[in-house]
Amino acid sequence: MKLIKAIVRPNKVDDVKEALGRVSLPGMTVTEVRGHGKQKGHTAIYRGKEYDVSLLPKMQIEVVVPDNVVDDAVAAIIQAARTGEIGDGRVFVIPVEQSYRIRTGERSDL
Amino acid sequence: MTTLSGVESARDALSADSARGHGGRAALRRFSDCVDHLLQRLFDEAPGSVGASLVVALGGYGRRQLCLQSDIDILLLFDGPIGAAEEGRVRSILHPLWDLHFSVGHQIRQLDDFAELEIDNPEFLLALLDARAVAGDRVLLDGIAARVRTPAAHARILDALKHLIDDRHARFNDTFYQLEPDIKDAPGALRDLWAARTIAALTDPALIDRGPTDRARLDEAEEFLLRLRSILHAQHKRNQNVLNHESQEHAARLMGYSGEPRHQVERLMGDYFRHARAVSRSLEWVRQTAPVPVAPNLVRSRDGIRFVDAGHADAHPESWLSLFQAAIDSNTPVADDALTWIQQRIDRHTPEEFFPRPVDRTALLAFLKPRAGLYARLSEMHDCGLLGRMFPEFQAIFCRVVRDFYHKYTVDEHTLLTIRNLERLATGAVKGRERFGNLVADLTHPELLVLSLLFHDVGKWRDDDHAEESVRMAMEMMRRLQLPEESVAVVEFLIRHHTKMSLIAFRRDTEDPEIVRQLADLVGIEERLKMLCLLTLVDVEAVNPETLTPWRADLLWRLYVDTYNHLTLEYADERIEHQESGLRALVAGRPDDVAEAEITRFVEGLPRRYLQLFPHQAIYRHVRLSRDIRPDDVHADLEHKGSLWELTVVTLDKPFLFSNICGTLSSFSMDIARGHALTNPNGLVLDVFQFTDQERFLELNARGKEQFLTVLGAVISGATDVTERLRTREQSVLYRRRAGVTATPPVIHADNQSSRRYTILDIVANNVLGLLHGVSRVISRHGCDVDLVLISTEGQKAIDVFHIAKAGAKLTDAAIADLTTDLHRMLEA
Repeated sequence: MKLIKAIVRPNKVDDVKEALGRVSLPGMTVTEVRGHGKQKGHTAIYRGKEYDVSLLPKMQIEVVVPDNVVDDAVAAIIQAARTGEIGDGRVFVIPVEQSYRIRTGERSDL
Repeated sequence: MTTLSGVESARDALSADSARGHGGRAALRRFSDCVDHLLQRLFDEAPGSVGASLVVALGGYGRRQLCLQSDIDILLLFDGPIGAAEEGRVRSILHPLWDLHFSVGHQIRQLDDFAELEIDNPEFLLALLDARAVAGDRVLLDGIAARVRTPAAHARILDALKHLIDDRHARFNDTFYQLEPDIKDAPGALRDLWAARTIAALTDPALIDRGPTDRARLDEAEEFLLRLRSILHAQHKRNQNVLNHESQEHAARLMGYSGEPRHQVERLMGDYFRHARAVSRSLEWVRQTAPVPVAPNLVRSRDGIRFVDAGHADAHPESWLSLFQAAIDSNTPVADDALTWIQQRIDRHTPEEFFPRPVDRTALLAFLKPRAGLYARLSEMHDCGLLGRMFPEFQAIFCRVVRDFYHKYTVDEHTLLTIRNLERLATGAVKGRERFGNLVADLTHPELLVLSLLFHDVGKWRDDDHAEESVRMAMEMMRRLQLPEESVAVVEFLIRHHTKMSLIAFRRDTEDPEIVRQLADLVGIEERLKMLCLLTLVDVEAVNPETLTPWRADLLWRLYVDTYNHLTLEYADERIEHQESGLRALVAGRPDDVAEAEITRFVEGLPRRYLQLFPHQAIYRHVRLSRDIRPDDVHADLEHKGSLWELTVVTLDKPFLFSNICGTLSSFSMDIARGHALTNPNGLVLDVFQFTDQERFLELNARGKEQFLTVLGAVISGATDVTERLRTREQSVLYRRRAGVTATPPVIHADNQSSRRYTILDIVANNVLGLLHGVSRVISRHGCDVDLVLISTEGQKAIDVFHIAKAGAKLTDAAIADLTTDLHRMLEA
């Protein structure tokens, strides 16, 4: 079981959601986040004055998947979120030890 | 009939009563009645007048409280013109009074004088309230009473009375604890007592009984104060009302206080302060509780604003909006009974009846300006049915439910909430949204944004594409309101595209310059961008409380900034080309006197935004101004536009041109608020400035416009040196920077990237007289051409964007450094 955490451009969320649906992964958590990687933001000018926009708005998508679909899920995310420009985002794959269903308290292996 | 000697006897009797401390209400009434009888006799014996006439008692005499040394205030009223016969009659009445050594305050008037109330004479209006017919034809007084006893006159009198009370109290340092009180004028004394009764009589007579001091208690205070006043008049034998230390012992003895003289005085003054306190509390209660006139036919009561004369309001539905306007101005709600009253009558009126005249339509737009209270008042209008009756289109979404997963409110409430959100931005009520709030303050016509919000979702009464249906319905409303062409275009644009910016901000890649360019093309000018941005923000926020996260607000702001920069920094490279659609539409709609060739000659090569900045009619005016222009010619037009003036100048380009025009405006103390300077490839310059005439030069001088344009022509042709004109103006004490007022450091940002042709200077500085002249003069001195300028102001800040070139090319880095150094030096001087 793995947690896939993807940081993507805000306008790519719908595409990623659709792509994950196609590999039978309908559930996900989406969070509005700010940050920067190599892109590091930039300095913008408004009415003559500079202001810092180094923390860029991004969307974080989290999905827990069985080990055997990790590659498909990651590939689906990358294909859907990619523009080829700096700032497309990152995908992290993190091991998950256990998972429990809150409603019943039972342990679940997805 | 009382004889002259009879009046003298009555006066002696009152004098004796007063000297015994018995000059209270009964004694004064007896004396007043005796004077009445004398006047009746004099009136009957006087030679006849042509028409009817009347003697009217006013003020204290009118109240039958004539004190020993008080003036006898009378009004001699005639039904027709006052000629020799009437003057004879006046003499026959007044001379005997003077012979009796009465002090007479008399007015001689004819009935026609009261056709209009003298609102600038509040004392007289107040005196009229106590008017009492003494002798003659009483019908004459009924005519005046009918004019005085109207709700509108009452409102004026109340307003005047309250000012008089405040002024009088100020003379006594606003306290009734006076050790030597004036029995008539001091706070808590007789005038306050009469004022409390007058306010109650004019507003709600039951107020006196509901207050902290009941009617009997006030009567007791009045008796006490009148007895004291009579003692003072008898003692001093003149109209002396100050109970000074010497008089206090005398009065205490006459009023029957026992004990040592010191104790008598202490008891007297103790009673005085007890009565003064009762009177003061009564007046304070009545003032706080009584309805306050706030506008014609409107008063503010404890529970809100209501009509004074419901009959008048019933006949004038166009006045109903003023109820809600007054509520906003007074920061109070509309009274429940006024809302119920409207609700009961709302079905009788058509939408047109609410805005029949231009002034009513202007009042509506003024009402819609976003500010504190607008949402609450619109909600009241909606609840009582007025909003839906004024705008049947809005009624179509009354309690309309659109089932989806994100809207939390009915469509009508969602709409009103958008206006509440805008109101909060405008008033700075939301922390962290100040940057959007500044945009509201920047808008030239924020009321059009509110109007757009009100109609942006009316099309949701149907289930299909609501934006187009909303536009259709809004166009119907704007036809009724006869809005000008430019305003219609703004509202239509905002409603049609009200979902566009959220779609781009939240679902498109806003880092893609092409996406930003498309949005810039759509909005065309900064004003529309600001409006669309604000509309988007408040619309998203009104969907449900969780929709507008700081993250989303940030996305929207970044899109706004990128698009704003595109509009202001990159527009120079986008020129109007031959046969493009905007130009074709301009040509197609041209009036008969404007030829296609002269339009294309003038317009081609100007920045594309020109077609969006100005409505077609304005462009045709510009084309006409450009006709037959030769070097040194200045074709200019000056017109009043709302609170601003607009100067349009067409001429051929030359060094220092922009600087000279700005300098001329400043030399007349005109404060430039916004403007555009444009140059076409043929060297034809079009400069449009909107400014405030700070010294009202154009308004106060009949030939002001002509004089201004003459000076402008002389300056541009070089015949007059504007720098010299401006120097004397800048030295004026009116415009010298005040000591202690810190200036914001100027910001100069040079951009050599955004435009292919120009170096762009973005300058933000304190908006002082002659700023634009000074800046552009430095630029010209560096050998640069000023081809395009955007001028705007934000409060005390001027924000100007210059597109400049030197010998047809962008400036080098070294030239930019030299120029900005000089500009800094000039701005910081």
